[in-house]
Amino acid sequence: MKRLCFYGLLFGLMTGPAAAQSSSTPQARQGVFALTNARLVTITQGIIENGTLIIRGDRIEALGQNIPIPPEAEVLDATGLEVYPGFIDSGTRLGLIEIESLPETRDYRELGELNPQLEALTAVNPNSVLIPVTRVNGVTTVLTEPEGGLLPGTAALINLFGYTPEHMHLGGVRLMVLQFPSKGRRSPFDRRKPEEIEKAFREAMQKLDEIWDRAMLYARIDSAYRANPERNPQPLYVPEMQALLPVLRGEMPLLLKVDLAPDILAALEWIQKRGLKRVILSGVAEGWRVADKIAAAGIPCLVGPVLALPTRESDRYDKPYANAALLHAAGVKIALRTGEAENVRNLPYHAGFAAAYGLGREAALRAVTINPAEIFGVADQIGSLEAGKKATLFVTDGDPFEPRTQVRYVFIEGYAIPLHNRQLELYHEFLHRQPGLHLQSATD
Amino acid sequence: MLLQRIGFILLVALPSASQAQNRAAESAPSPPVVTRTYAITQARIVVAPGRIIPQGTVVLRNGLIEAVGPNVSVPPDAFVIQGDSLVVYAGFIDGLSHVGIPAPKQEETPPQRSANPGNPPPERAGLTPERDVRVLLKPDDPSVEQLRRAGFTLAHVVPREGMLPGRGALVLLRGSSADAMIYRSDASLFVQLEPARGVYPATDMAVLARFRQLYREAARRHHLNALYAANPSGLEPPPYDAVHAAFFPVLEGKKPVFFYTEDALDLHRVLALHRELNFPVVLAGLAGSFDVLEKLRASNIPLFLTLNLPEAPRDTAAKAIAPSDDSLAAQYRPNLRVVDYRNTEAERQNLKARQALERIKYYETASRLHAAGLRFGFSTRDVEPKKIAAHLRTMGKHGLSEEAALAALTIDAARLLGIDQAVGTVEPGKLANLVITDGPLFNEKTRIRYVFVAGELFEIKAPEEARRPPTETPLPTADGTWSCTVSSPDGPVDGTLRIRQGSGTISSSALPQPATLENFRLQGQQLTFGFFTSAFGQVTARLTLTGQTAEGSLDVPGYGTLPLRCHRTESPQR
Amino acid sequence: MRRHWVFALGFSAVLAALPAYAQRKGDLLIRNGTVLTVTQGTLANTDILIRNGKIAAIGQNLTAPPGIEVIDASGLYVMPGIIDAHSHIAISNVNEATNPVTAEVRVGDVLNPYDIRLYRALAGGVTVSHVMHGSANVIGGQNVTIKHRYGETDPEALRMEGAPRTIKFALGENPTRVHGRNSNVPPLSRMGVEFVIRDAFHKAQRYREAWDRYEQERRRNPRAVPPPYDARLEVLAEILRGNILIHCHAYRADEILMLLRVLKDFGIRRVVFQHVNEGFKVAPELAAFGAMASVFSDWWAYKFEVYYSTAYNAAILTRNGVITSINSDSPELNRHLYHEAAKTLKYGGLSEDEALALITINPARQLGIEDRVGSIEVGKDADLALFSAHPLSIYAVCKKTIVDGIVRFDADRDPDDMRLRVDPEQPVELAITPQTHHERCLQDTDFFALLTEITQAP
Repeated sequence: MKRLCFYGLLFGLMTGPAAAQSSSTPQARQGVFALTNARLVTITQGIIENGTLIIRGDRIEALGQNIPIPPEAEVLDATGLEVYPGFIDSGTRLGLIEIESLPETRDYRELGELNPQLEALTAVNPNSVLIPVTRVNGVTTVLTEPEGGLLPGTAALINLFGYTPEHMHLGGVRLMVLQFPSKGRRSPFDRRKPEEIEKAFREAMQKLDEIWDRAMLYARIDSAYRANPERNPQPLYVPEMQALLPVLRGEMPLLLKVDLAPDILAALEWIQKRGLKRVILSGVAEGWRVADKIAAAGIPCLVGPVLALPTRESDRYDKPYANAALLHAAGVKIALRTGEAENVRNLPYHAGFAAAYGLGREAALRAVTINPAEIFGVADQIGSLEAGKKATLFVTDGDPFEPRTQVRYVFIEGYAIPLHNRQLELYHEFLHRQPGLHLQSATD
Repeated sequence: MLLQRIGFILLVALPSASQAQNRAAESAPSPPVVTRTYAITQARIVVAPGRIIPQGTVVLRNGLIEAVGPNVSVPPDAFVIQGDSLVVYAGFIDGLSHVGIPAPKQEETPPQRSANPGNPPPERAGLTPERDVRVLLKPDDPSVEQLRRAGFTLAHVVPREGMLPGRGALVLLRGSSADAMIYRSDASLFVQLEPARGVYPATDMAVLARFRQLYREAARRHHLNALYAANPSGLEPPPYDAVHAAFFPVLEGKKPVFFYTEDALDLHRVLALHRELNFPVVLAGLAGSFDVLEKLRASNIPLFLTLNLPEAPRDTAAKAIAPSDDSLAAQYRPNLRVVDYRNTEAERQNLKARQALERIKYYETASRLHAAGLRFGFSTRDVEPKKIAAHLRTMGKHGLSEEAALAALTIDAARLLGIDQAVGTVEPGKLANLVITDGPLFNEKTRIRYVFVAGELFEIKAPEEARRPPTETPLPTADGTWSCTVSSPDGPVDGTLRIRQGSGTISSSALPQPATLENFRLQGQQLTFGFFTSAFGQVTARLTLTGQTAEGSLDVPGYGTLPLRCHRTESPQR
Repeated sequence: MRRHWVFALGFSAVLAALPAYAQRKGDLLIRNGTVLTVTQGTLANTDILIRNGKIAAIGQNLTAPPGIEVIDASGLYVMPGIIDAHSHIAISNVNEATNPVTAEVRVGDVLNPYDIRLYRALAGGVTVSHVMHGSANVIGGQNVTIKHRYGETDPEALRMEGAPRTIKFALGENPTRVHGRNSNVPPLSRMGVEFVIRDAFHKAQRYREAWDRYEQERRRNPRAVPPPYDARLEVLAEILRGNILIHCHAYRADEILMLLRVLKDFGIRRVVFQHVNEGFKVAPELAAFGAMASVFSDWWAYKFEVYYSTAYNAAILTRNGVITSINSDSPELNRHLYHEAAKTLKYGGLSEDEALALITINPARQLGIEDRVGSIEVGKDADLALFSAHPLSIYAVCKKTIVDGIVRFDADRDPDDMRLRVDPEQPVELAITPQTHHERCLQDTDFFALLTEITQAP
């Protein structure tokens, strides 16, 4: 019985061209698994060679060199393989878009400037074709973000497995997104005079301040009402202000989207003026220019995309690759983001480039595992291989940053995920098409 | 030859006569003209670059220069200008501009969507080579007087807009009708790399392709015309349209194509087009041509360099006078490494230095063209006439000798336009086009005092603004009465500020009584002050003054920062 | 003397009119590197001698002629300069989007040697780019193959002398959107796209026949009347004669087959498809025709016609005998094409040499320049890229890139600011807010108002 399960599992789990010719679509399943003879890259507790890792239910039950294997476990011999915690992409649109050129499939942007009450989580399509394509490369968890206007809504941290958004939602993590005003040019064709750009920035800042002041007043009214509903008036129905209450009270972090150096400085000033304590910066393309100030402010940064063009023509060509490393060197806590939707699967390669251009492999690994977990406040659940944490991990035949590496197994909260997606299906169908050249339709 | 000369004189004389009549007809503020004979006495005369008469007299009669020399006698009917401290130069020549053609109004509406963008009507595509500048000239357009004030007497004027805007003419900068201004009409075919909007050709590459198509098809039709003219029997009449026909004189070598280029790439592209089709061409503009000197030297094409020069960007943060480009450029470090945040200040300085170096390349263009053996004229198309003198001085500081500059402004331009027998120097028999200054050309204090255009005298009076001593924008004063509005969550609150000599009061419906301003500080444009309120305590206002308005914020402790806007309703008494 | 206008029309005259730019060529000795020849295996501890811009010798312990610069490549990997078969850098315009057919337009007329993106691609090992007209039109403009001779300010210096002429075709959503949906001008559907091509070819045939008849008649009748000159039909006629190679942007399997049918009907034997995200579905047909394919490594889902794509495309095509390359169509992606090629090791298990071929000898074949570049062989141009590790490793950093024997990129020696010219008037700290969307062939021609602006690329 055990044997059958084992082969059945292998059959359903193995990736690559040779396998998976099943007629039925394989399904994910939880159970008890033992990964044996593996190189366990724990992130927080060094590397365990020839290690064993036991998964039970949704957790990592135990890991180590000579730990006993439960008799009911399905054993996956991972000789020559490596185990990593699932990679986390700290900024994507995954689940909120299907095809970029078709507006009907774009759900990350609503009309209007002021929409903090909107939630990206509820618009996530758990059955998006893009999701299975992503997780087979070891990216198991992503922050998916709304965009547009000043306050587009809340971003959510989701696992890339689940049939409902609520199931995918990890740790209840929500962040309020704030698109900080910018002094930069919108494109190479933006020919406004510097005075015009300055003016537009000042006006945008004024608007932001007005909204924030109003929100603070609303918070005072709301607090007074809660303290004494008999005596104090109920706040008016203003859903936008309602949505900002947790941010003002420090219960929800503020995710500040900002890229250019002058904007980052203005943002840091604004954060300090407003006395905000739970803030995270996202994007930070020119963070290296003001890395000392960011470090002094103690604000973590979700940096990326790494594979991007320099922001200034006079910049050295590799500055975007080196940005994360320079921030890290100055003492800033960093996580990496791709900003992608259909190619979030390339997060390991963004990390690899950051590693190659100054960050180093160790720090790059942390930037896609334990660092984002800590920044999002879910380090008790994910981000490293530790007993008691969720079994969200993947197994490779080499360095996950290297393109030639194949992923063998993926687990998300203990579910063994079938490494199966439409791109693989197409590969199997068309590698040797049947029929091949059909003579009557041939072009000769 | 004599007949030609007389005819020429008549041509020049007649418009003036009618002009004299017109002038009598207007209620002119200037006194009537009583003679067409002028003498400038005891002046320094620059006959041509390098040929100087230190003290002499120039006599003009009936629109022509009659005599020039140290011992020329003053005719009895002459209007005499005492030239003791004056210098006489030949009038300047503008190789290409739109002077006299009013600038188009700002386009508010985007162009109409075309039903067939790939095959638009010629006007929409910018193809109007048959259009003559004569119908566009407005003699009273302010640009004429502005250019004349800068010392220019004759200009090659071309129409605006489109890739083939039309035919240019040589024009004298005087006259009360378009016809009266024309010196030589139909002098050129003007072409520029200006795509159409929303229809073919919408890109530079399509403009080039369109030109090639037009030129080659025009050649075919020209050939057909010749066949048909020789013997029409058995042949269908060749097709005709104005656009192709405009190229016939070019194909025959009788009319040059004037191309305008705005940067080095334009220049390369036009030179390549010329190499391919080999039409007679003259190039104007030539900004950035310092990168293309070798090709220009090899091509032997007449050139008109723009008088426009780049200006350093205004540093909004700088308080002191900006350093000169030369001193900035000297600080440039080509191998600077910007490793991390510690190097960003050095980077900024280095970028400015690099940019100054680039600007210097533009300043040096004229002298480098000259040093390469190329002789050129100038074009005023892209420059404001009141900046021309300053730009010439800048070119002078960067290697262009006064002689070379003068040649480009006068005799070389005339030669390149094929009119050097009639204009370009101060010699008897030539047209009376003169510029009379009170000092050498490049001197900063030199002012142009008189301009003669075809023997007509224009006295150049100093503009009103020049009377006032040059100032930086005066620092704003906060004195006066201001009407202010604070945006609070409960709605706007109005107040009135009264400030005099560093102190003042603020009154408002929100305040029980007017409050005295405390800690009043005005630094440059930044104004801060505080005042006491019973509800919130000491509140602080911070304002940035720009002229008659002020913007900023009001810090209310325990409440936040509220936007504050003011405008001055009463200025202080002078 | 009036030139006979007929001679003005001959293409030979056109080509002769453009002088062969005197290219700068260099001499170098590269010592002791691991040489990835691509066509003849990997050679360890090997030297490469470069003379006058050509590879003169490959071997161990070569002697350096006196005065020649020696580059110590110990620990470095030397590969052929990368060839990007689909690029829009270094030109001032990308799309003349006002008509479905614009064959007479040439992007080579608007080359921009000042484009910093040339340098940034060099920093990723790219030495040759196929710079193309955009995909707004069914039959677009003529493309140009350039070498990244960054530092030269004459646009002609970029042109790769002797490279065959190519032209851009585009099928599917882009031309139907730009013309059909935005301007109410056919094509609106894929049916219309086919007709536009057939119609253009028929008209070109008629044009060519009329001119041939005229040439015949002129010999005996000096009063023969030449037909109207049409630059567009001239170019289309050259395509029919096989003198201009079609590079066709296409995605869907059915439109790929449609073009193969049309080409067969008009006797055109060669074609290279660009993007062909669904090429893998008709790999046998492509191979049978001899068509070649230039694809993305893993871009998909940005339009409906690429929704059903697979990252295994390149591998499937290769395994079915189609000469395949991986291109960038992006000034960001062209900086790491070596990494894009490496993805085929994962998606389909191509070998290292097969993966490297996708960005070297294969695109060279697709551009008709395989006798000059694309592999490290004696007699070929000295276009090379030196990496700190095997280029298919994520940790590889490009250290030097050599074009015609001249080092055009040097990671250690180059200053940070590599601009060739600087705007003299703009404020120096001009930062552009990073774009979140990828640039593609079409560059926002959705909006009519932008039509005139976006056709001027920076």
